[in-house]
Amino acid sequence: MKIRTITKCLGTLLAVASACAFAQQPAQSSGDKPGEKAGGLPRFQSMCVGCHGIPYYQTAFPQVYHVPKIAGQSRQYIVNALKAYKAGDRSHPSMQGIAKSLSDDDMAALAAYYGADPAEAKK
Amino acid sequence: MSKLLALVLAASVSVPALAAGNAEAGKQKSQACAACHGPDGNHPMTPDFPRLAGQHPDYLLKALRDYKSGARKNPIMGGQVQALKDEDLADLAAYFSEQSGTLHVKR
Repeated sequence: MKIRTITKCLGTLLAVASACAFAQQPAQSSGDKPGEKAGGLPRFQSMCVGCHGIPYYQTAFPQVYHVPKIAGQSRQYIVNALKAYKAGDRSHPSMQGIAKSLSDDDMAALAAYYGADPAEAKK
Repeated sequence: MSKLLALVLAASVSVPALAAGNAEAGKQKSQACAACHGPDGNHPMTPDFPRLAGQHPDYLLKALRDYKSGARKNPIMGGQVQALKDEDLADLAAYFSEQSGTLHVKR
């Protein structure tokens, strides 16, 4: 089997596995706002922390580079990025798997939690 | 199994090396970027656009290369990077990664 075929298969497997795992999360929100858990943290925030919550963490697959900083990012851009992964316009396997299981409310809650509004950029 | 692992490892590192760019040269080439992302990459014109200041340079370079190859689809960025050489992309990534802004790591 060619290397390319193997990596492609692995990527698909990863994406499918993560999509299956995340799909089992309850669709209903139990927090004060849509997309939030009780206590105010966004649903799925735990999915972000393992990579984006570790300073200088690097992806290992399919390419090696530093996982982008998302805290302090433009809120609407965070939503745009998640939607692009969900639609397949961006191609990281684990991000596609995760984004596919997010509702619009989940994306908005994650953007509210991680993002910064324009006033904060004036600093 | 170990053979398969070795193959996968080889595939993961076989992407082109992420060249370190020149931030000073990047600043000279960044006027077009400034129109939407702000001169320092921390003041996007609309919240639709990302902040670039302080982002990891290898991630910025990967994003720029993906726009150029079409792996990442965006009508604006896809057009912007077409005329740029890989050296330009690396310089821009270096420049914006060295600016300070709101981007940080949060759990």
